[in-house]
Amino acid sequence: MTPADSRDHTVPPRLVTVNLLGAVEHPALDGSPYRIDRNGRPYVPTGDGGIVLGLELGDSAFALDADHAAPGACLVHADPAARQALAAYACVGNEVRVRTGEAAGARGVVLGKRGEEGRVVAGFAAADLARMRPGDEVSVRARGQGWRPPGLPPEVAVMNLDPGILPLLPIGLPGPGPGPETGSGTGTAAVAVGVRVTVPSRVAGNGIGRPAAAWDLDLQLPPPGPDGAGDVALGDLVAVSDLDVRYNMGYRRGWITVGIVVHGASPLPGHGPGITPLLTGPAAALRPHPDAAGHAGLTAAALQLQ
Amino acid sequence: MKVATNAARLVRQVLTGEVWPPLADRHAYRVGPDGQPFLLPGMGGVTLDVHCGDPATGYASDHLEPGASIRHRDPGANMALQFLTCVGNQVRVVSGPAAGATGHVIGQHAYVLADFTGPAAAELTTGDAVTVLAAGQGLVLPEHPQVVVKNCDPGLLAAMPGGTRPDGRLEVHVAARVPAEAIGAGAGMASEYANTDLMGAYAGLGADLSLGLEGLRIGDLVALADADHRYGRGYRPDYLTIGVISTGQCMMFGHGPGPSTLMSGPASAFYLVDDGDANLARWLHPQPAQSAQDPAVAP
Repeated sequence: MTPADSRDHTVPPRLVTVNLLGAVEHPALDGSPYRIDRNGRPYVPTGDGGIVLGLELGDSAFALDADHAAPGACLVHADPAARQALAAYACVGNEVRVRTGEAAGARGVVLGKRGEEGRVVAGFAAADLARMRPGDEVSVRARGQGWRPPGLPPEVAVMNLDPGILPLLPIGLPGPGPGPETGSGTGTAAVAVGVRVTVPSRVAGNGIGRPAAAWDLDLQLPPPGPDGAGDVALGDLVAVSDLDVRYNMGYRRGWITVGIVVHGASPLPGHGPGITPLLTGPAAALRPHPDAAGHAGLTAAALQLQ
Repeated sequence: MKVATNAARLVRQVLTGEVWPPLADRHAYRVGPDGQPFLLPGMGGVTLDVHCGDPATGYASDHLEPGASIRHRDPGANMALQFLTCVGNQVRVVSGPAAGATGHVIGQHAYVLADFTGPAAAELTTGDAVTVLAAGQGLVLPEHPQVVVKNCDPGLLAAMPGGTRPDGRLEVHVAARVPAEAIGAGAGMASEYANTDLMGAYAGLGADLSLGLEGLRIGDLVALADADHRYGRGYRPDYLTIGVISTGQCMMFGHGPGPSTLMSGPASAFYLVDDGDANLARWLHPQPAQSAQDPAVAP
């Protein structure tokens, strides 16, 4: 028997951790200061990348008149391929450490990422963020891609999630025995996830048709009503029905995708608050439990960023 | 289409481009809806044997681009070519064995896509230079101020059926109606560039992927429900976008046959007529010998 034959294939592979280098992004505009909003009006985009101060997990995604504003610092890399790798391998919950500048030594956490060119959104304590500036180097301790938590039903895929923060999220995996959450009549155990809201796939905007490991998915949601009804907050978990994000993000009837809100609203047509996908699976095995008033997603307190 | 326009005030500009090659990388494979790896042709170069009026799906292809795929070598000039070229504009080959052949623009897909007759396309290849007579951006329908028209040659608009109705609505004939759930890659992008991939048209794959769009044909006019493409491409309930299917079969998930945008506005501004013949083939199928008289390129 060869060594390869003797391996126990029921043991999941061990995760690899990779130190990645990001640099705090400077916002960039092309030749015109204007973008055109969904009503045809020109506007000057603010908060689209770089460091955004005064925005925190738990704030409404509609709190600021900004464009894709994220709570913290966006990390990029000067080389386009390295930048894509930074976005693809970084996972929500990964620890980051500032290496240069006045905030050197400060600790932060990956809150999500954004697609196309690739950006990692890292959250910091407000006092640390205030000492940072674009160009500061930040190390990202990337791990999570390829992970499958024990007990995860085989039909459900997990992605973009650091194993260490699973206990901080309202995600209930089926236990070894009969748990409180069981699936349909098939007896299949289901993952139960607390979310702010479940939205239909037709509101999926920019990011649809793109790989969920490196892109966020913008949700074309209207601003909340005067009483706050319909609001979503940064760090919330949100479910999208009829969406499968295992191999690019696309329509599949009967599927559920759950992601974490990583950036705020945008005036652009086809854009809106963005989620970094974390879980995707058939509705029988992945069950979102919406709680519009009481939901709590990822918080600064739980991440010890205060 | 019987509708008042500002066509007499539009300029027609001479643009150049060349047939652009298919592009690949050393990893070769892409991934389909069920995780199936694939390597399939369709995008870039000259794709033969698929023309306006032919089925959009059912091919062993990904991002099928019928006819010639055209870009300009200079990045800034290329964006002008992509933004200013309109569906129905005449394209003339100026180098290579197909020189002199004319075809028509059927859409945009980060390439300008031009349909030629089979014999002309057979002689075309990468690097052949073309001239595009670009006209259409800035087209306005004064009696329909809520409707924004784009990417549409005035001659094509004139050749289409429909027009202003007595009740003030704009009558448009469409071959298919597309639900908002079908909108795939392209959402959030400018509506003068590339097109909007429609999901739910993966011929031969699972029923849970289908939105009933497997019957689309290249060149079909389609109505996109709850889509506002006036200033980009976004979801907006009770708006409507009219497009023309300019690309076909996709295996890549979240992608599919794609309409290039022609007009967009509140749904209440339109009167749709379901018409199986609402296809570019009816109005401007490439006929080189007659192109000078083609209504789509007449002044």
